[in-house]
Amino acid sequence: MKTLAILSHPRFKLALRLLAAILIGLLAWNMRQNAVQKLPPDYDEDDYLRAAQQYADVFRSGNLAGLTQVNYRQEHPPLSKIAYGLAILPAPQEALIPDRPTSASPDSGLPRDILTPARSLGANFGALTAFLLALVNPFGGLLLAIHALTIKYTSQVMLESLPALTSLLAVMAYTRARKGAATSSPRGMLRPYIFISAIFLGLTAASKYLYAVAGIAILVDWLLVSSPKFPGFRNLGEAGKGLRRYNPILIWGLLALAIFFLADPYLWPDPLGRLKESIFYHAGYSTTAAEVQNANYPSYQPLIWLFLFSVGAWHPMVFSFVLDSLISLVACFGLAQLWRKHRVYALWLIVGLGFLLVWPTKWPQYIVTIIVPVTLAAGEAVTAFAHSLLETWKSSRAEEKPSARDTRRALPWLIPGLVIFAVFTLFPLFYQFAMSLTDFSTLSILDGMKGGIWREFWGGIFGQIIPTMPGNAYQSREVNYIGTVTYLPILDDITTYGILGFNILWTLFSVGLQTALGLAAALLLWNPRTALRKGWQTLFILPWAIPETIGAIIWFTVLAPDSGWLALAAAQFGHNIPFAFLLNWHENTGSTFLVLLIISLWYGFPFMMLAASAGLKLVPIEVFDAAQIDGASAWQTFRHVTWPLLRPLLLPAIIVRGIFAFNQFYLFQVSFMFGNRGLSTLATLSYNIFNPNSGNFGSPPGQFAISAGLNIITMLILFVFVVIFNQQSNASKGVDYA
Amino acid sequence: MRKIPLLQQIARQFALALIGLYVIIPIWSILRLAFDASLMGRPTEFHLFPKQFSILPLLKILDRPYQSVNFLTLFTNSMTVSIGAALAATILGASLAYAFARFRFHGRSAGLFTILLTAVLPPVAFSTPLYILLSALGIRTQLIALVIVYAAFAMPFCIWNMRAAFQSVPRELEEAAMLDGAGHFFTFTNITLPIALPSIAVAALIAFLVGYSEFTIGWLFVERADTVTLAMSIYAILMSGSAQPWSQIGSLMIVMSVPVVVVFILFQRTIFERMIFGAS
Repeated sequence: MKTLAILSHPRFKLALRLLAAILIGLLAWNMRQNAVQKLPPDYDEDDYLRAAQQYADVFRSGNLAGLTQVNYRQEHPPLSKIAYGLAILPAPQEALIPDRPTSASPDSGLPRDILTPARSLGANFGALTAFLLALVNPFGGLLLAIHALTIKYTSQVMLESLPALTSLLAVMAYTRARKGAATSSPRGMLRPYIFISAIFLGLTAASKYLYAVAGIAILVDWLLVSSPKFPGFRNLGEAGKGLRRYNPILIWGLLALAIFFLADPYLWPDPLGRLKESIFYHAGYSTTAAEVQNANYPSYQPLIWLFLFSVGAWHPMVFSFVLDSLISLVACFGLAQLWRKHRVYALWLIVGLGFLLVWPTKWPQYIVTIIVPVTLAAGEAVTAFAHSLLETWKSSRAEEKPSARDTRRALPWLIPGLVIFAVFTLFPLFYQFAMSLTDFSTLSILDGMKGGIWREFWGGIFGQIIPTMPGNAYQSREVNYIGTVTYLPILDDITTYGILGFNILWTLFSVGLQTALGLAAALLLWNPRTALRKGWQTLFILPWAIPETIGAIIWFTVLAPDSGWLALAAAQFGHNIPFAFLLNWHENTGSTFLVLLIISLWYGFPFMMLAASAGLKLVPIEVFDAAQIDGASAWQTFRHVTWPLLRPLLLPAIIVRGIFAFNQFYLFQVSFMFGNRGLSTLATLSYNIFNPNSGNFGSPPGQFAISAGLNIITMLILFVFVVIFNQQSNASKGVDYA
Repeated sequence: MRKIPLLQQIARQFALALIGLYVIIPIWSILRLAFDASLMGRPTEFHLFPKQFSILPLLKILDRPYQSVNFLTLFTNSMTVSIGAALAATILGASLAYAFARFRFHGRSAGLFTILLTAVLPPVAFSTPLYILLSALGIRTQLIALVIVYAAFAMPFCIWNMRAAFQSVPRELEEAAMLDGAGHFFTFTNITLPIALPSIAVAALIAFLVGYSEFTIGWLFVERADTVTLAMSIYAILMSGSAQPWSQIGSLMIVMSVPVVVVFILFQRTIFERMIFGAS
């Protein structure tokens, strides 16, 4: 036990945290340096590099007064550009990059000898940001380190990397200051950290205005803390009476403003005039610039950047995997935790996202302003999950230890059972794992079936065979060992083309809808005086009883694009019939998604209805009369009476349905026959690239090893589902009387 | 119980009717196709009711639904495969289920977790390795291959549910038998199994349905027309485009679904409890 005592020592924990943060920082640095080398020049990089060249010239001439005169692309404050200027100072002097309009296409001929040092500086800032966030939450830092969109924009000569770093520093310093205020003297707010926060906020604004949203978050947080009405937080009113209590934040704001002016030499000759000019540029740009008009993004475009877009589609050769949408989804589960533990960051996210939704210009790089709180929220979700996993493990360890005698008694039953289970289930799965580490395909099928898979698998595992690089694999008539690196291209494929993201969105949407309708149906049928109750209930169960394949086919006899009932009705009565918007759904992804959801809702809601009515049976209806008498509204009754009573039964049902939806196979397989061209779950994808006789998805059929790899990845994801299921239900709680 | 005011009753019925309409539309759609003798291939005109009502397509299906294979062969294949798989999954899985239900041994919770994990895997996760393994054994295209594959899909699920069934048998009954000198095996076959049998039957039923309604993975394995099941023939007919009137596809699906639907409606409660993995 003594060795364990060290593990919980605070110093040791701190050291461990620091070590983790350093490793994460190194990982982030490595990934960004890789991007610096591989990313092609992008829009605007030529502009900022030109600005950097001008600043480099100023420094070379030694006449620093030039700083007040130069600011190419003056709508953006100069600090980032000055930093880039310093970064390229040691590099050889290149001819000034030509001045081109903002909408010009990327300049592919940018001189590498100045592009690389400028990009590297941004990459270093980016790595530092990940390191700092890892200090707040290691998982958050890790997710920021691998966030592909952030890697791209912090490793190009853009204005994102410096303000992303300084805004995080401003917020971190502020939280430090607040902690000081809570623990020591009330005036602790005024101690150094609040000044540090102000300084970094000023630098942030001097790098790119947009990133100052973090400052607004700090302001809001401070107002919440100091408001006596806001419950649950320490009232800082004691810091001073009346207006004096606003002193700290006032000083903070003024200092930030002063630093902003100091760090923006271009403003010095004519502060207000030039500031006005640069800010008004943005208002004009957002409404009149040709490229903004042409892009024509909807107001919710930032959400698309966050949840659906994959930067891997732009740079397939640069990123080995893109988990951005996944990170955004995981972040949704960490929002509550983020609000509780890191309220400033939560406010940062709210203010930032709100601004991005309202602001008419919607470039993808703007998302970087809120990636820090997003990854922190995702990190919190992962932390919570890891924590509960640990707890489960601990509690299972704490259970009474079985004796050797018990085990012996079980053996006569266990051994035949295990043999059967191993033959039917475990062995095929193990074989699948072995397959997944090779390049087995129809080409090498003869060798594979004659033992080539085992030869390569064991040989590779024990180091007897040199792994083949994925690039050289899949070409010979013999099976080749690749090793676990084979998962990287698979992971890259399913993230780049959004299949993994779609699979998860599909699960969330379809189960969410099923739960909502199932619950509604159960509530409608709950009161025994509802007329025709049994009849409705029996009718509603039908879709659950019909096999999935048949359910899918009969729905497509309604919805098939050419011969479906709806299409025929439109042919006869014109296009003004109800549900005409479902015609020609196969022509775009959104409608295809909708059609598939309609069908899966039909399958799935009866199961949720049964789960909900089973729960409702246990609820005495008098509870509701009581709630009504107490004046509770319908929503309040649901939220505080019905839902808590239903939760224990509904949650396992939701997870079971979730697993089912995640694995959904037959619906998709049938939908391919009726016009679905792109949407697929991992299971369906795996089947189709396995099937030696199919040509779906454009890949050569019979890719056995890739299909096996996909299945292994699916298993890992389902592992997470099952862990959650185990926690939310008492399904596998042991026997009480064994 | 509260009385429902008339207005609220009407609103409720209206909402229920909307859900009912949603449920009934596709079912109605297949009925209108199944009994329409005028169809030559895919439907080409809009009709709410069959244009030419007839039960001939249904009769045709009961004779020769797919290529030259008659219904009886398809039906026999379906039954062989699905009953075989259900029996294999339950009988072969029983001893493991009983071990998990009654004994405490090293690695028990890890084992339970493994079974639950394998029970939720998509069928394709088993079918791909089995395809290669059964090909290597040279039995891939025979009906026995389908029995093995479907049994492999269903077995973790059956073990999990039979464990719950055995666990719900009062332990006192077993102890009483053993006090009278009965051995573990005798107690199991004469006391525990008969009591747990109804629950096991439902698990077996669900295993049966796997083989009964599965079609895609079946086509991966089987090549000849005389080893095809009913569900697989639906898929084959669909894939062949307009070669066969859709009234026959519709009839075939109705013939297949009706027995299942009846069973589900009769045993809804129990089936639901099995499907939720005993979480309730």
